[in-house]
This record gives sequence, C-alpha cells and structure tokens, in this order.
Amino acid sequence: MEVLRIEGLTKVFGSGRLEVRALEDINLSVAAGDLVALLGPSGSGKTTLLLCTSLILEPTLGKIVFDGETIHQQNGWAGIDIRRIRREKMGFIFQSHNLIPFLTARQNVLFPLSLVDKKGEAAEARVMELLEYMEITERADYLPALLSGGEQQRVAIARALANNPRLILADEPTASLDTVRGKKVMELLKKIAKENQSAVIVVTHDVRMIEGFDYVYYLKDGHLNHEH
Amino acid sequence: MDLAVYDLKLHKGRFIATVIGVGLLFTIVLAMNGLYRGNIHEGLAVIKATNPDLWVVERQRGGPFNETSTMPEFYHYSVKAIPGVEEASPFIFYTVERQVGDKSRHFSIIGYDVFGGLGGPQQIHAGRNIARAHYEMVAHEKLGVKLGDQVPLGLHTYTVVGLTREAISPDGEPIVYLSLPDAQEVLFQRDNEEIRNQRERLFRSLTRSLPRQTAEKLLPSLQADTHIINAILVRLGPGANRAAVARHIENWLYFSTFTTAEEIQLMLKGRLAGMTKQLLLFRTLLLIVSVVIISLVIYTFTMEKIRSIAVMKLIGAPNLTIVRLVMEQSMLLTLGAFLFGLILIHNTYHLFPKTLVLVADDDLVTFIVALFGGILASILGLWQALKTQPAMALGG
Ligand SMILES: Nc1ncnc2c1ncn2[C@@H]1O[C@H](COP(=O)(O)OP(=O)(O)OP(=O)(O)O)[C@@H](O)[C@H]1O
Ligand SMILES: [Mg+2]
Repeated sequence: MEVLRIEGLTKVFGSGRLEVRALEDINLSVAAGDLVALLGPSGSGKTTLLLCTSLILEPTLGKIVFDGETIHQQNGWAGIDIRRIRREKMGFIFQSHNLIPFLTARQNVLFPLSLVDKKGEAAEARVMELLEYMEITERADYLPALLSGGEQQRVAIARALANNPRLILADEPTASLDTVRGKKVMELLKKIAKENQSAVIVVTHDVRMIEGFDYVYYLKDGHLNHEH
Repeated sequence: MDLAVYDLKLHKGRFIATVIGVGLLFTIVLAMNGLYRGNIHEGLAVIKATNPDLWVVERQRGGPFNETSTMPEFYHYSVKAIPGVEEASPFIFYTVERQVGDKSRHFSIIGYDVFGGLGGPQQIHAGRNIARAHYEMVAHEKLGVKLGDQVPLGLHTYTVVGLTREAISPDGEPIVYLSLPDAQEVLFQRDNEEIRNQRERLFRSLTRSLPRQTAEKLLPSLQADTHIINAILVRLGPGANRAAVARHIENWLYFSTFTTAEEIQLMLKGRLAGMTKQLLLFRTLLLIVSVVIISLVIYTFTMEKIRSIAVMKLIGAPNLTIVRLVMEQSMLLTLGAFLFGLILIHNTYHLFPKTLVLVADDDLVTFIVALFGGILASILGLWQALKTQPAMALGG
C-alpha cells in the first residue's frame, strides 16, 4: 500500500543570481513497511527533501500525496491542516538533543499522545509499552540531560512511534552515536518498519549503516537516483 | 500536559526570584493605592467629622482647610441672626509643633464653643467632652496621651479629659480640641519680651508722624486683636432653605459659604490634588516597569526554549499549545507576584508611617491591570515563539 508519492518535486531557494536549485524534478514512491535510505554528499539536498516530505518546506513545484490525500498540488498547498497530518500520521527522529529538556523520558513520549487527545491510563499504558519496546523503562522518570546519547535517541524513537505513524522520517539518527549504538538504532528502525508496517525514510551520510534497507536512493546536486 | 509548570520547575530559583522582585513592585503599587485612599481619608476626616450645614469663611477664600481664612470672632452673632440659621458657632483651626511628654509633636488644634457650639468632637472614645471653659482638652489617641495627663501648651497646662479616634488633620496629624478662648490664647500667646518689643516698634513708627502724647493714647487700641477665628459653622433650622441662607450671608455679611460637600470638593481639587496626581503617576510608572520586567523574563524563558518549541511544531503541536505554554508562564509569574504583593501589604500596612487605607476595589482594579500587563508581557515571547520555524529542530 502506497503511503507517500512525490511527483515532479522541485525546490528553488532565492532568485536571480542567488538562485539555488536544491531539488530538481524528484519522483519517489514509498509503501507501508518500506525501509528507505537517502544518501548523498553535503549540500546535495537531503535535508531539503526531508523537509518537503514532512510538509515543513513548501515545494516550489510538484505534487505530494500522503496516505491517500493530496497535500500539495502542482503549485500550492491543498488546504489541509498540515500540523494535524504531522501529529497524527508522521513520526520524527532527529540527529540528537531534540527531546524536550524540561520533560522526563516518560513525559516526552506522552507529549505527542496528548496532542491527539489521548489521556489517562490508556496513554500511560501506551507510553510504558513504547519504553519497554525501546528497553528504556528504568530511565522513564529521568530528564533528558541525565540520559546518555543512545538512551536519548531511544526515547526519541519511542516518541516518534507514539501515535503509530504511517511514515517515520529520520535525519541522520546515528550521527551522534558510535558505530555499535548507531547499528542498533538502524536495527530498531528495521524492526519498526516490519512490525508496525510504517514506512521509514532515513537520511544518512554513512553507507555502513544501510545494510538491509529495502531501497537506497542517492541524491546528487538535487537529482535523485535509484541505486542498486 | 502542563508544559509551563514542568518548565518552570526546572528554573525554580529564577522563577521565585522574579516573583519576589516583581511582587515587591506590586507591593509598592498596592501601598500607593492605600496611600492615595489614606491621603483622601485623612484630608477629609476633619471636614466629615465636623459636618455643619454651611461653612462660612472669609470672602473669596476656600477656607478654612484648603486656604487660610480669618475673620473677627463677633461675626458669628450676625450670622446667627440671619433667618433660617439655628446655630452659628465660631471655629478656629491651626497647626502647631509643641513638646508633648518628652517628644516634640506636630499636631493641629481646633478651638470651638464648648457650650453647645458646633465643631467639637463627635465621638468620644474614652473620657468625656470638654465641660469647662478653660484648661481642658480632648485629644486624638495618636497624640500618645492618656486620660488625666497634664499637657503644657504655652502659658497654661491642660488636662486630657477625653480621647477620640476620628479627627485627623488634613496632614494626617492628630487633632486636639480646646475651648475657643484657650485655642486663641495658645495661638496668639507671646512671651513678655516679644510683647514689649512689638509695642516699642509700633510706638516708634507712630512717633515719626504723631506727637508723643497722641501716640501713647493710640497705642493700646492698635495692639493685635486676638479675637480672630477661621470660620463660622452653621446649623440650619428645620425647613430652612440652604441656598437662600447662603445667599443672604454672602450678600449682606460679605463672606463666602460652602456646604460640606463643597468643602470636600475644594480639598479634592486643591490641597489633595497634587498628591493624587503624583501617586497616579508613580503607580503607572511602577506598573510599566513591572510589565517590562515580566516581558523580559518571559522573553528569556521563551528564547531558552526556542528549540523545544521548534521540535513541538515539527511534531505537529498546534499553535495553541505553544501560546498556552508562553502565556501560562507569564500568568503564573504575574499572579504569583501579585499574590505576593497582596499578602505582604495586607500584613504590613500598619507599619507604614502614613495611614494606608486598603480597599478591596483598589486591589481588584490593580489585579485586572496586572493581568492585562501579564498578557501584554507575553507578547514579545509569543511573537518569538510563533515565528520559530519547525525546520530549526533539524539543524545540527
Ligand atoms: N533556506 C535556504 N535558503 C537558501 N538555500 C538553502 C536553504 N536551505 C538549503 N539551501 C541550499 O540547498 C542546498 C541543499 O541543502 P540541504 O541542507 O538540503 O543539504 P544536505 O544534503 O542536507 O546537506 P548536509 O549533508 O550538509 O546536511 C544547499 O546548497 C543549501 O545551501
Ligand atoms: Mg542535512
């Protein structure tokens, strides 16, 4: 089942002499359970593509269809509440340090649930289930500052999974981890894709991390190439 | 989820310090409210306590409290003779600084006709009214005297026969009641040296143009008259027309008249107006300072969280969640500070040197102003929070 379809996506920053064509006519389709890697050198447009996919940056041109809804038409938003799509159907994992520092691990995972009005015991139970899944229950009541990088990243993944998103977007999730921990996070993402039937798109620099991915795309100067 | 509270827990020290700091500013604002009320309360106390139907004062003068007014004492007979006037009493009021006990005290003296005249103390809290023509006094408790105390004023010693709690001079000083002749004597008494000197001065200026004998003859009648009063208090007879009586007094006796309500207006527009404006200005400035401080603190709190706010937006938090986070912190700060100020002032108002009259309405108005201030104060932080791009969460 198709979760995300991108057609003819082009992103241009600035204009005239300062014009940067960050993405050029990108076409991409991702299905439920797909584990997708996005590789490319610095400045090739990886983050820009991720931002367009997560509906944070508006494409200059191109169509985005997400979970059956057309979100962006050829040259404009289709008028759908984008933040609602994000909180209900997308999960985000960042490089690091993106837990909310004044909330404990447990509260950080609870936060996206509270945004979709899940409260009380059911929500608490869901949080514990996720923390157990990430094997981090014993740190549940710690503030992020007291957690190691790997622990923080596991909490962040638990948070991304909270609302059972259709699509998980991860920007260099292993960049601040050592190789062993990084591999572990990638294993987790694989497991999530298969077990939850979520589509997962991972941006990375590191070719060593992409073993076992279903699709690997390579971005160069804003052009997307399938690599295999 | 109460994000605002979780965040503040992490910055407890700074939060509490700000609450106390701004709270002290609010304390001063509330104290000034009380000072303003106290100032008016005291400024009008003697007028309200005396409360005759008409005050008769020197022509063109807003006396006897807003300006001085002097008139010869015997005019109260003329006023009494006017149709519609039931009682007309002489009244004298002035301020002195005298030794009471072992301290030099500033207080005001009212002299009135102790035998049935108007203008005396209304409520005696302890003891009795003045009953003899001389050497008795009724004093406000604040003067610090007890019943039976002997207080020397000028040439004589006066016995405290009664204590009051109501009459305070417009400056907030205690009032002492004396019989009219006693009050005039205390006011005009001079020592013998001074009387001799004055007589000599007068004599010298007279002999410049007059023969010695004529000057000597004139001298006694030129001595300063001490039968001076400041106002005549009038009680009207039943059914008398106040306006007609007032017109009569103004036209025939050439005085000015005021009702008690008009006296109050004279004070509010005159002597008390400056203080009122001053206090209003100070309160406005202090509230502005409070709002600025809260703004800056909220702005800093918000800027420290800006990355978290970007993350929240990225995760899909609606703007309302973020507005609530910032606003709630601003409100908690404002309300905490206001509460601190309120509790502090209500427990310390009696320690202030000036009388503070705290009124629930004033507290409420200040609270509402503070609340709007708090909302205003969050605008700077809100503006920063709302313009934060979710993409910021993705950067290194
Ligand atoms: N807001 C912007 N305004 C102008 N140019 C931009 C903006 N964001 C990105 N660019 C440009 O678009 C191009 C792609 O940038 P992008 O951040 O997507 O690269 P990247 O592949 O994520 O690089 P890295 O691996 O260093 O993170 C770059 O040339 C960059 O300078
Ligand atoms: Mg990047």
